[in-house]
Amino acid sequence: MAELKIFGYADKISVKPGDTISFFVHADGTNAAQAQLVRLIHGDAHPSGPGYIEEEVSSPINGTWRVRKQFTQVGSFLTVDDPQRRLALDGPFTLCAFVYPNKPGHSTRNCLLGRWDAFNNKGYGIWINGDGVIEFGYGDGKEVDYLVTEVPLLKNNWYFIAASYDPKTGRATIHQESSANRYNSLLGKVAGLDFRSRVRESLRFRPDNPPDVPFIVGGARDFHELRGHFVTQCFNGKIDRPAVFNRVLTQAELDAYRTRLEYPSDAVVALWDTSKGYTDKGIGDDVVDIGPHGLTARGYNRPVRGQTGFNWNGHNDCFRLAPSEFGGIEFHADAMIDCNWEKTKEFVVSDLKSGAYAIRLRLGDGKGLREEYIVFFVRPRQPKAPIAFLAPTGSYLAYANEHLSFDAQIMQPLAGQSPIVSEIDIELYQTREFGLSCYDSHDDGAGVCYSSYRRPILNMRPKTRIAGMGITWQFPADLSIIAWLEHKGYDYDILTEEDVHREGLGALTPYRLVLTGTHPEYISEQILDATEDFVAWGGRLIYMGGNGYYWNVAYRKDEPWCLEVRKLNSGMRAWQARPGEYHLATSGQKSGLWKDLGRPPQKVVGVGIISEGFDSCRPFRRMPDSWHRRVDWMFEGIEGEILGDFGLAHGAAGGIEIDRYDLSLGTPPHSLIVASSGGHTDNYQTVVEEVLYPYPGLMGTYDYRIRADMVFFTSTNGGAVFSTGSIAFGQALPYANFDNNISRLLSNVVDAFAKDGPLPASMWTLEEKQWR
Amino acid sequence: MSETAPIWIDPLGDYETKVDARSAPTNAFLPPQVPWDETTSFKAKLHRIGRLRYYYKWPGHGSRLWWRTRYWPTRRRVLDIRGEYNRKTSRREKTIVDKRPIWWAMAFALFAVLPFILPQDTWNTVLTAAALMCIYGSINLAWMLIIGTAGIFSLASYAVVGAAAYATTYAAIQLGLPWWSLPLLGSVIGLVFGVVIALPALKLDGLYYALLTLGIVELCRVYVIQSGELGSATGGLFGAPSYVPDWLSPPLRQMTLYYASFALMIIALFVYRFVDGKRLGRLLKMAPEKKEAFAEACGIDFYRARINVFLISSTFLGFTGGFYAIHFGGASPNLFSFDTVLLSLSMLVIGGIGRSEGAVLGTVIVVFIDRVMIGIGPLRYVLIGAIMLGVVLFLRGGIFGIKTQFRIWRAKKQSENRSSRAEKGGEMLPEEATETDNKDEIYRRRFDKAQRDFLKCLVTDTVIEEHRTRPLGQHSEALERLLIYFRGQTQVDKYAIMVLEDFKAYRIVGLSGRRGTPPRVVEDRTYPNANEAYHALFLRRVQDLMES
Repeated sequence: MAELKIFGYADKISVKPGDTISFFVHADGTNAAQAQLVRLIHGDAHPSGPGYIEEEVSSPINGTWRVRKQFTQVGSFLTVDDPQRRLALDGPFTLCAFVYPNKPGHSTRNCLLGRWDAFNNKGYGIWINGDGVIEFGYGDGKEVDYLVTEVPLLKNNWYFIAASYDPKTGRATIHQESSANRYNSLLGKVAGLDFRSRVRESLRFRPDNPPDVPFIVGGARDFHELRGHFVTQCFNGKIDRPAVFNRVLTQAELDAYRTRLEYPSDAVVALWDTSKGYTDKGIGDDVVDIGPHGLTARGYNRPVRGQTGFNWNGHNDCFRLAPSEFGGIEFHADAMIDCNWEKTKEFVVSDLKSGAYAIRLRLGDGKGLREEYIVFFVRPRQPKAPIAFLAPTGSYLAYANEHLSFDAQIMQPLAGQSPIVSEIDIELYQTREFGLSCYDSHDDGAGVCYSSYRRPILNMRPKTRIAGMGITWQFPADLSIIAWLEHKGYDYDILTEEDVHREGLGALTPYRLVLTGTHPEYISEQILDATEDFVAWGGRLIYMGGNGYYWNVAYRKDEPWCLEVRKLNSGMRAWQARPGEYHLATSGQKSGLWKDLGRPPQKVVGVGIISEGFDSCRPFRRMPDSWHRRVDWMFEGIEGEILGDFGLAHGAAGGIEIDRYDLSLGTPPHSLIVASSGGHTDNYQTVVEEVLYPYPGLMGTYDYRIRADMVFFTSTNGGAVFSTGSIAFGQALPYANFDNNISRLLSNVVDAFAKDGPLPASMWTLEEKQWR
Repeated sequence: MSETAPIWIDPLGDYETKVDARSAPTNAFLPPQVPWDETTSFKAKLHRIGRLRYYYKWPGHGSRLWWRTRYWPTRRRVLDIRGEYNRKTSRREKTIVDKRPIWWAMAFALFAVLPFILPQDTWNTVLTAAALMCIYGSINLAWMLIIGTAGIFSLASYAVVGAAAYATTYAAIQLGLPWWSLPLLGSVIGLVFGVVIALPALKLDGLYYALLTLGIVELCRVYVIQSGELGSATGGLFGAPSYVPDWLSPPLRQMTLYYASFALMIIALFVYRFVDGKRLGRLLKMAPEKKEAFAEACGIDFYRARINVFLISSTFLGFTGGFYAIHFGGASPNLFSFDTVLLSLSMLVIGGIGRSEGAVLGTVIVVFIDRVMIGIGPLRYVLIGAIMLGVVLFLRGGIFGIKTQFRIWRAKKQSENRSSRAEKGGEMLPEEATETDNKDEIYRRRFDKAQRDFLKCLVTDTVIEEHRTRPLGQHSEALERLLIYFRGQTQVDKYAIMVLEDFKAYRIVGLSGRRGTPPRVVEDRTYPNANEAYHALFLRRVQDLMES
C-alpha cells in the first residue's frame, strides 16, 4: 500500500452563506478520509503564544468523504480546436514557427508543434530532442522516421524553424534560421555563431494521422491506463506565430515569412497570429488563427502571453504599443495553474459566523502528510460588524507553495539562518503537481509570474512555518490577528482581497475599520484604489504589517483565482522579467513596484518598506510625538517606553520586513511617528529600490533608516490610518495569552477607530504655544 | 577560551531591553587580505596546454542545404555526423561520430581487389588462405553472436558446421543434389542441430555448458573417424558437387573460390548486423552477464532472446557447413578437431569478443600466421599462442578494445596526475580549466579557496562558544564572516534542519540542490530545539571547512 497522503483545494477562497463551494481532494493509499469543518482561530503553535486553536463546527459536510487518487496536467501548451481534422495532414505540408528555447536538450524531448500521439507513435511533429537539436518526424504506429538539423539550439535565442514534407517523394526538409536581432536574444553578433541549418532526407514511409489526436503547440498527446489522455513533451520557451501550410513552401516563401511575415494565402491551413486579439486591458488564453478555417488555439495552464517576439527590436516596451512585436507565447513544462481534479464534495455554505474556515481532512493518525486543511474565508451574508479583517489573499497566492529554501541559494544568507524544513515542505518539493510560487523560477530559469489557488497550497494552512525563516508566514501568521480579535471579543467580519478586487470600495464601506494582514504585499490596482478611497471616504485602516502595497498585480475578471505579477528592475525580487516583458498580460498595466508607478505605499498607509531581516526582531520604543494628545490615548495603560520586546516571530514586535515613514515618498505631511523599532542587525539590509549606489553601511547597525515606524495620520471625513510597519507586530499579539503591551496598544487603537464619530483628542490641532 | 581573547562589543548592545549590553570574546581581527597575499602563484608546475588542429575539420553547412543520404531502404544515414560548435572558437564544425563504416568500406575494397594486387609468387597461397579466412570468418561471426551477443559459452559451433558439411555431402552423394541446394539443406540441419544443443543451455551455465559442447564436438569427431559411411578410410567424406564450373582455368577457379567465400562472409556480416544491431541484440545488451535478474525485472525475456540468437546462428552455421561442402567438395574430421576449435577461439579473443570487426580481424591474423607464414613451421602455433596470451594478459577487449582501454588508462593517469598536482578544493589547474565551460566557475574556485584559507584562521573555541550562545542575530566580525560564507554556499549538499516535531525535535539534513530530489539525512541525532540544531549544523560546517 502506498504511503497515506491527502491534499486538496477549493474552487473559491471567499464565500458567503448560501454560496456553493466545491472541494477537490486527492488521496494516496486510501479511499476514505475524515472531514471536519473547522473555524481557524490561531495558527501558530509557538510555545510563547496560546498554541494552535481551531473550533470544530458541526455541519452536514462532516464525516467520511470518499476520496481518490487524482491526476494533474502539469505544463502549459495550446490545444487547437479542429473538429474537421483540417490538421490531419495527409498531403504535402509545411510547419513553421519562431522559437525561443529556454532549456533545449538536457535529455528531455519537447514537442514544439504537431499532431503527435506519443503513446501510439502516430501523427507528426517538430521537436527539440534530448540533444537540443530540432527534429521533424512522424510515425505510422509501428515505426517513427525523422530527420534532425545539424547543430543544437542555443538557449534564449530566437530561431525560425520550418519543416516540410511531401508524401509523393517522401522528401522532408527542415530549416533552422536565426531570428536574433540586437535586442531579442541572449547572444549578440560578436559571438559569431552560425545558427543556420537546412537538412533534407528522403523518409521511409508515410505518416498515419489518427482521427482523434489534437494539434498541440508546446506538447504532445500521451496516454496512461489509469489517467487517460494527457499532454506530455511540454516545451520550455517562447513560440511566435506558428503556421501550417498545405504544400512544401519554397525557400523564397519561407524567407518571406521569416523576414516579413508574408505568406502565400492560398497555401495556409492555419496561421496563428499570436499577437492578434490583444486589448488595452490584457490578453486572454485564445490564440487566433487567421487562416481560412479559424482553428482557434486555446492555452492550458496559462501560457504567458504578450512576451517579446522574434521581431521585437527594443523600441516598444509594451505589447499595447506594437502588438505585432509581442507575439511571443511562453510555455513552461512545469507551469501549473489549475489541477482540474474531479470534484470530491460540494458544500452550500450554511449560516456560519464570518471567519477563516477550513475543511480538515485526516487519514489515519492525522499527522504530517495525513492531514490537510482546505482553507476558505466566509464573509457575512450582510455585513453588520464595524470591524473587518481584510485577508491578503493575493499575497497568499504569491507565496503559495514557495520552494525558496530548496532552490534559492540566496535564501540562507538573506534569512541569516539555515532553513527548518518539514515533511510537508519536502513533499511539496518532490511534487511538481503542486506548482510554483511567484518566488520561484521555472526549471528553465524564467521567473514564475502566475499563481493560483486551484491547487493544493501547502503553506496556506494553519500551523505551517515558512522553512527559510523559522516563523509563521502569511495565512498562519495572519491568524494571530484573527485570534486576537476573537480573544478580545470584537465584533468583526472577514473580507478578502478577492472581494475588494471584484467589488471595489463597496466591499469596504460597510465597515468603520479595516485591519490588513501582516504582509499584504501583492495588490491590484482595484484594491489599491479601494483602500485609498476607503480612507478618504472616512474609513479607518490599520495596516497590520510590513512591506505592504508593494507589487502591482492583476487578476482576470472571471478568473480571480489566478494572480499575475512581473518582477522588474527594482524591488526585492526573486527573479527579473526580461526586457520588454514588464507588462501584465492580464491587465495591460506595467507591473513591478507600485512605488515605480508613482504610488509608493507611504502614499496610502504612511510607511513603506525600508529593510528586511529574518534572524531577529527588535522592540519598538515610543517616539516623542507619541506624547502629543492626538495620539497619546493609544498608550493608555501601557507602562514604559518599550513596546513589544516579545513575540512569536523571533522574540519581538519590530522586524521581519519593516516599513519606514518617508515624506519624499508621499507619507502625508501631518503623520506622526508614534513609535519606532531600532537596533536591527546587519541581516537587515536596505532594500534595493532605496539604493542608488550601494556603499558599505547600508545595514541595520549602520543605517538609521533601518527601522519600523508606527505611524498615525488622519484623513478626510474622519478617516484615519494607523500603520504598524512591521510583520512581526501581528505575531507579538498572542504573547502571554494576548496580555501584553502590543495587544493593549492595538486595542486602544481599534476601540477608538471602530467607534462612530471623531477620534479621541481630534481637536488638539492648533499650533502649540509652548513654554517648555 | 583563552584569556587574551579580544572582546567584541555588540553594536546593538544599547538596544537590549532584557539583558545587559552584550559583548563576547572573539578573535583578533585578521584581514582577509592575508591569504590573498600568501597566494600569489600556483604551487604545482604549470604546463602549456592545447591541441593543434592537425587534421581537417569540416565546417558547418550554414545556409547550404545538407541533403543526407541513407542506406536504402533503412533509416540509417550513411554516416553518423554530429554538427557542433567548437568550444574554443564557436565555429561550426562537423565530426563523424562513428568512423567504422569508413574502415569497413576500405576493408571491403581491399578484399575486393585482393586477387589483383597480390604478388605473383604468393598469389596462390594467399588467395587460398584468404578464401579460408572468409569461411572461418563467417563461422566466427556466427559464433560471436552466440558468445558475444547471446552470452552463451558454446564450443559446439564447429560441430554444427561439421554436421551440416557431412550431412549435406552425404545427401549429395546419395541423392545427387545440385550444389546450390547444399547450403540450404545445411541451414535446415543447422537449425535442427541448434535446437538440440540449445536445450541444455537452458539448464547449464558457463563452464559446464562449454564442457558439454566440447563433448559434443569430440563425440562428432570420434563418430566421423570411425564411421565407414562417412569416410573413415579416406580421412573425410568427399564427392560433394562444387559450385566452380569445371571449364574455368586454375587462376579463375581460384578467384571464384575466393569471391564466393568473400560473399559468404558478407552474408555473415549482414546476419551479424541484423541480429546484434536490432531488437534481439539490444534486448541482450540490456541483460549482460550477472545482470540478468535486473533485465528480467525490466520485463526482458532474455532466455528467449538468447535461444533465438542461438538458433539463428546455428542456422547460419549450417548454411556455412553446406557451403564448406561445396567449397571443398566434402567434409573432413578436421572440422571437429580440438585444435580447430581452439584456433577459432583464439581468433575471437584476439579480435575482441562482442564485435564483428573483432571476429574478422582476429581471423585474418590467425589465418595469415597459420596458412601464409607456413615457412616458419610449427613455430607459428607458438606465435599464435603468444599473441593470444598477450591479448588475454594485456587487453581487456581484444585488439578492438585497445582504444577504449587506452582512454580509460589515460583517464586514470590524468586523475592520478591531477590529484598529485592539484590541492583538494583548491584552484583549478589549466588542464581542468579547459574542461570548464563557464569560466566564471574558475574564478569562483580561486576565490573560494582564499576564503576558506582565511576563514580557517577564524575558527576558535571562542567563536564556537559565541555561536552556541546565540545562533541567530548580530555576531562578532569573526563569527559573522564564517556564517555569511556558510550560508552562501551552493545548494548541493548544503545543510538544513528538518523538523520532526515543532519545537521538540529537529535533525540535520543535506539539501540535494536538484529539483524534486528530497534532502538526505546526514545523521540520526535529534535536537530538542531549533537553537541546538542551528549550533550542531554550524559545527558540521566548521568541521567541513577545517577538513577541506
